[in-house]
Amino acid sequence: MNNQSPARSGSLLADDLARARSTVNDIIVDKEAVVDLAFSALLAGGHLLIEDLPGVGKTTLAHALSIAVGGNWQRIQFTSDMLPADILGVSIFRREDEQFEFRPGPIFANVVLADEINRATPRTQSALLEAMAEGQATVDGHTHRLPQPFYVIATQNPLDLTGTYPLPDSQLDRFLLRTRIGYPSAAEERRLLTEPDRRDLLRDMESVLDPARVLELIELAAGLHVSEPILDYIQALVAATRTHPAVKSGLSPRAALALTQTSRAHALIMQQDFCLPDNVRTVFPALAGHRLQPTAESHMDGDAVAAEILESTPVP
Amino acid sequence: MKQASTPLPFAPVAWTITAFVVAALPHLLAMPPLLGAVVVLLCGWRLLAAGKGWRPPPGWLRLLLTVGAIALLAVGFGGLWGRRAATGLLCLMLAAKMLELYRLRDLRMVASVSLFLIATQFLFDERLVYLAYLFGGVLITIGALLRIQLLELGQAVPRSGHLRIIRDAALMLLTALPVALILFVTFPRLAEPLWGLPDEVMDAKTGLSDSMSPGSIADLYIDDSAAFRAEFDGTPPPPERRYWRGPVLWHFDGDTWERAFLASRTPAAKVPPGPDDFLYTVQLEPHERRWLFALDYPVTTPDEAHISLDFQVTRRDPVTTLTEYRMRSNPGFTDMPQLPETLRRLALSLPEDRNPRTREMARQLRERFEDDRALIDHVLDWLREEPFYYSLQTAPLGRHGADEFLFDLRTGYCEYYASAFAVLMRAAGIPTRVVTGYQGGYWQEGGQYLLVRQSDAHAWVELWLAGSGWTRVDPTAAVSPARIQSGARVATGDATGLDWLRSLQYRYDRLQHLWNAWVLGFDADRQQSMMRFLGLPRLSSTGMALLMVSLLGLTILVLAWAWLKRPAGSRDPVQRAWIRLMRRMGRRGLGPVLGETPLAWAERVAPELAEGEKLHELTERYCRIRYGDCDDAGLREHFIEQSRKLSTDRVEPRRMASV
Repeated sequence: MNNQSPARSGSLLADDLARARSTVNDIIVDKEAVVDLAFSALLAGGHLLIEDLPGVGKTTLAHALSIAVGGNWQRIQFTSDMLPADILGVSIFRREDEQFEFRPGPIFANVVLADEINRATPRTQSALLEAMAEGQATVDGHTHRLPQPFYVIATQNPLDLTGTYPLPDSQLDRFLLRTRIGYPSAAEERRLLTEPDRRDLLRDMESVLDPARVLELIELAAGLHVSEPILDYIQALVAATRTHPAVKSGLSPRAALALTQTSRAHALIMQQDFCLPDNVRTVFPALAGHRLQPTAESHMDGDAVAAEILESTPVP
Repeated sequence: MKQASTPLPFAPVAWTITAFVVAALPHLLAMPPLLGAVVVLLCGWRLLAAGKGWRPPPGWLRLLLTVGAIALLAVGFGGLWGRRAATGLLCLMLAAKMLELYRLRDLRMVASVSLFLIATQFLFDERLVYLAYLFGGVLITIGALLRIQLLELGQAVPRSGHLRIIRDAALMLLTALPVALILFVTFPRLAEPLWGLPDEVMDAKTGLSDSMSPGSIADLYIDDSAAFRAEFDGTPPPPERRYWRGPVLWHFDGDTWERAFLASRTPAAKVPPGPDDFLYTVQLEPHERRWLFALDYPVTTPDEAHISLDFQVTRRDPVTTLTEYRMRSNPGFTDMPQLPETLRRLALSLPEDRNPRTREMARQLRERFEDDRALIDHVLDWLREEPFYYSLQTAPLGRHGADEFLFDLRTGYCEYYASAFAVLMRAAGIPTRVVTGYQGGYWQEGGQYLLVRQSDAHAWVELWLAGSGWTRVDPTAAVSPARIQSGARVATGDATGLDWLRSLQYRYDRLQHLWNAWVLGFDADRQQSMMRFLGLPRLSSTGMALLMVSLLGLTILVLAWAWLKRPAGSRDPVQRAWIRLMRRMGRRGLGPVLGETPLAWAERVAPELAEGEKLHELTERYCRIRYGDCDDAGLREHFIEQSRKLSTDRVEPRRMASV
């Protein structure tokens, strides 16, 4: 390396990332794996879908992440009567200067918590998903760029089937990762009960990163070394999804690219200089689980297929 | 002429020259020593030049040297024709190439032609040992070609370079083996050879010659190489009946016994099959002469052979390759109950001015004994009782050979006895001829065949007696029965010591026998019988060629498939070291499960290992090399070394806490 400064700033950035991670882990107890996945989705430039019961800490996680990352954050509670304008914003005609003025909606934030996304109508859902995909919002023919970084943490409640509009398969692809949080362990739950309220802790939490540094980290992750054997491994995993009998269709080339990027991001979070098969393994279920649609006759869901593929693909 | 700007490095040149010298060595040993020295000198000079970076000699000098060497060769061999001279020329031209070995192309040319050169040795020597030599030589030559390729690709040679190259070459040779085997087995064999070997006896490894004078076959007695091997249907004849008939000699000029034109050109009487016939197959080693060996008296002749009046079996062409033929012999046949007058005269002629004492003795015997048989018995008793000795240590005989031997020297071997005895018998008026051939042989229990060596060469006498025709009389048997029963070695007391060496030799000969039968003797018949054995129908030459092509195609497909499916990354020494470690761990039941990453595996296994800490360290290093962006040769070497050293011992089972 002929220039010393990028490396040094890289290591400084990595330190910041580590601190951000540890502050979030202080708030969300016993969920390091989920926190790492959340950071991975962020640093790979994607979005995160959390599928779990109410009350397991989805909102707290999103909130903590947004504080750690810095920048502003918004929460959108989806309901069935919501309209796209409630998310994207509206243009208001101002009488004073006889012009339309754009009032940005809650989506104009660095971190957006989209709560119970499947309770909104498909129309509203797709407004959000399109904004996620494009990084911009179009209102009344005017395109408005979303702030960078732009990171959506969406939650959906699988049990609450009444009055929900499940996300279409094609739209699920907009989320880089999907994960579950799950119940805490008994000891950690006890900590929740005895320690001060998480919301108080959040109030005292300080930002470690800022949007500019997050963008630098995203760039750093994209440049992380991925060796030939890792690419072999990624291709082998993707190829296995395409031939697995229990799924309708395997992962797309875009998903393969996403797997590479997310593995890189995960490696960066684990403070590695290069990507390990372990990184690929860790992110693969979260990345593939919701993209693999089981066939009608199979009893496996996408997660089970992903797990099976991991167990049957040799690590090169 | 353009000169390469950079001289070739030492190692590839040394490889190439080694390959050439190994290929040329058997030829050099057979060449005039001066030419061998020229070749060695040229190679040595080129090696030195490669080491010191000398310039090549000027063109006119090279030309001069080459022409001079060829002239030497032509003088040494008396021409440039014939197998020896031709291979010698090839050796010499390659050696001359040393003078202009300055480009990659030159190296490659020398190495490739060396492959041909080493194979040409089979023109002279088809023994099994030479096959081993050939494999070694080809291995080195392929190594040289590999080394040249490394140079061409500009690749660095790994530290364990030479061994590695030899190993790669061995692998290539091994891969080629099935192809060679298929070619050998299925290549359509013609009943007639495609070309005849030149009729040339210059370097013939001769067995018997077609003449005999006392002392002429002395060097055969110390030659333990095989003359032929015989397989019998049923039990082989006992040692005293194993007289293998070779040239029959009629003419005697006082020094040398020779064949008679008349006897050898006249066809033999028809021998009817008898009840006690021997049926056998002979595998005759090449001896560059036309005759074949058989027991008395051949009933059938092999194709292309004919039997002369005195029951010599001869072929039209000299035996230049291993030859197999089938024989049937009737030992109970009476040869020539009536002796024609011409033959009687032939069988009684003696030079007048030789051996007066023998003639005198014959005259006295004739006076004492009317009957031929009584006379013969008397002489044999006389040989037995007088102090005659059987020995290979003898003195040369002078003008009156029979006299000197019978009355003064009295020490000698079969030729001495046969010659002197025959002179005595002819002088006494009994028609006599000398038969040379082999007697005895070693019965190989393990291989079920009779091994007859050059040292079994023998000479005996046949006398024509009224009523029984030509009758074999072996004066050597009278003097030394052990020679007939156990061979020359036992008879001369040379059999003691080194029994294990001898048994090793016999074992080797059994291998050689199989080699002869199944490789050298693999002709159209054997090929068809092998096809039958494999349950394949009788195939025409075209069918065989088709079979060959399809089998070859199949083999190449299989090899290509194996090559494509070889474990990925196995060309990388680090990866190989890691896979080896995995295998070692696997044998302890600690191998990785499918889909387990190296780190996860180490995490799981390390607590069970005595050297768990080291395993962590090693795995971490492996990941750095394999997945990381690191190209540090030192780190790689270190890893390979450490991975070899890592012990797979488990931790001591934890002792139960004593209560």
